[in-house]
Amino acid sequence: MPMALIELNNLQKTYRVYQKKEGLRASIKGLFKRKYKEVQAVRGIDLQVEQGEFVAFLGPNGAGKTTTLKLLSGVIHPTAGSATVMGHIPWRRENDYRRRFALVMGQKNQLWWDLPAQESFRLHQQIYGIEPDTFQHTLDELSDLLGLRELLSQPVRELSLGERMKMELTAALLHSPEVLFLDEPTIGLDVVAQHNIQQFLKYYQEKRKITILLTSHYMKDVAALCKRVVIIADGQIQYDGSLSGIIDETTNRKLVTLQFADPIDKRLLGSLKRFGHIVHHEAPRVKLGVTRDDVPAMLTAILDAYDIDDLIVEEPPLEEVIADVFARVSETSATQSELGLSRSNDTQVGEAE
Amino acid sequence: MAGYRPSYSRVFLTFARNSLVRDMSFRTNFILQSISTVSWTIMNIGFYLIVFQYTDSIGEDTGWGRDEFFVFLATTWIINSLVQTFFMPNAQQFSELIRSGNLDFALLKPIDTQFVISFPRVDWAALSNLFMGLTLLGYSLFQLTTRETNPLILDWRAVLMYPFYIACGTVIMYSVMITLASTSVWLGRNQTLYNFWFYITNFSRYPMEIYKVGWGMALWVFFTFLIPVLLVVNIPARIMAKPLNTMETHYWQLAGYSIFATLICLTVSRRIFVRALKSYRSASS
Repeated sequence: MPMALIELNNLQKTYRVYQKKEGLRASIKGLFKRKYKEVQAVRGIDLQVEQGEFVAFLGPNGAGKTTTLKLLSGVIHPTAGSATVMGHIPWRRENDYRRRFALVMGQKNQLWWDLPAQESFRLHQQIYGIEPDTFQHTLDELSDLLGLRELLSQPVRELSLGERMKMELTAALLHSPEVLFLDEPTIGLDVVAQHNIQQFLKYYQEKRKITILLTSHYMKDVAALCKRVVIIADGQIQYDGSLSGIIDETTNRKLVTLQFADPIDKRLLGSLKRFGHIVHHEAPRVKLGVTRDDVPAMLTAILDAYDIDDLIVEEPPLEEVIADVFARVSETSATQSELGLSRSNDTQVGEAE
Repeated sequence: MAGYRPSYSRVFLTFARNSLVRDMSFRTNFILQSISTVSWTIMNIGFYLIVFQYTDSIGEDTGWGRDEFFVFLATTWIINSLVQTFFMPNAQQFSELIRSGNLDFALLKPIDTQFVISFPRVDWAALSNLFMGLTLLGYSLFQLTTRETNPLILDWRAVLMYPFYIACGTVIMYSVMITLASTSVWLGRNQTLYNFWFYITNFSRYPMEIYKVGWGMALWVFFTFLIPVLLVVNIPARIMAKPLNTMETHYWQLAGYSIFATLICLTVSRRIFVRALKSYRSASS
């Protein structure tokens, strides 16, 4: 069986975190005796990504998305499990591997703050050993696509956040990586800048057919770019499939909006409750959450009983569905730990001198 | 593609160049820094001029008279300025990279991580002390070779060994610093770097003969064999300041040991550095 381009097997990462208590007294005590907590950031991820895929990692803060990208970039070592990217084990940090991928982090910057981005780019050229002609060609292409030409000679500290992010992307792409890891590349950007970066990534990925793993909190990024979505919560994969598939698989709810010809009174609202729960009402419209299988029967009944001007049946918004998935995961893990059912290597509180 | 290696010298030149461009863009800061470094140096020499008004030499019968000692002092400045120009800002920065999690980027580069950590910044302003050191060295050697009684005859072997042992000393200092900065990985934060630097250079900047009395022996052993900072300045300074043919056997032995100590320091610090990278946790974004 040919190996996938990126392959993760039961990948795990545990951190030991110092539990600091509030107050001076506790701090002094902490000088002598410290309590540590084992935090499992990633608890066994299996994943295969083929060449040319554009995959999104979705998940709440602290779900393990960034940790996974850091493991795949070889920045940190795993506690258990294995991973290969293009046949390399990332945390061995072989130069042959490091020349073939790039990592962009929306929260961290690598460009020299006080120097024009151009100077940092030249440094990259030398570190990656890029031929001068190729370098100039790539830089021209990227700066045209991202509209950076005039900004190349301005100190990075004088650039706007959006411009800086574009520079970071340029820096990461100068050596034409085959695999790109993007950790929240649009964080903190305005709508226009977000859109620009999305458009750029889309174009670039389609043209170069590179493989991209992206984490983002913006559903728009994901909807615009990725066919495949991996939901990570609580350090594990909760869903892996298409974006539209999330709705089919994780919810059996539809939203039905009714526009009444007659005014809405309490009695009417009361009688609507037997069809489903009322999500929102603002005269003359009422929005109901209804179980999918019940929709046809409900519509017949309502159209019989009331005078309806307009009617919309739709899927619930993606953000809500995903938020539901997150909420469900954290609920389950909370109940499990309450019942003492937590997995054997789950959160452990240990003491150490 | 497989056997490809980046050109380290060219990367280093770009580091140095970028640092210079950066320093130049804060011109006044650059000038003030140079002035403060040079003033400190001048006060330093003023202090020793006062000391030599009360005595003819540092320690009795040690041969460290005024001009010999000024060769010693010049050597101290040369080594310190090299360390402060090339390594100090980087060791400091390394500590900060660990704390902030920005070490990530250094780890991603297809180039030796210790190299990319050790050299990115060059503090050009600190180099002004190198020129002060060279000037003082020239002046003192002129005094020594032209004095009426017992003038020093410059030995070509000494002239060759001097820069070699300066390099060894600088490497020892570098190793100590990179080791210290690496500990930030386990400590989360290590701000003792500058203090520590001050403490150990305090020991290294006097002739080792002064420690060889009473309990000073303990210090001598500690700073010669455990953290060999006493060798850093003493060996090259001794070779240059006094005639080679009168150099005592134990000095020759120490000079030999010095090469060995340099290699050991470099190896040990490399090991600790690599070990530290394994424990790096990358502060989250």
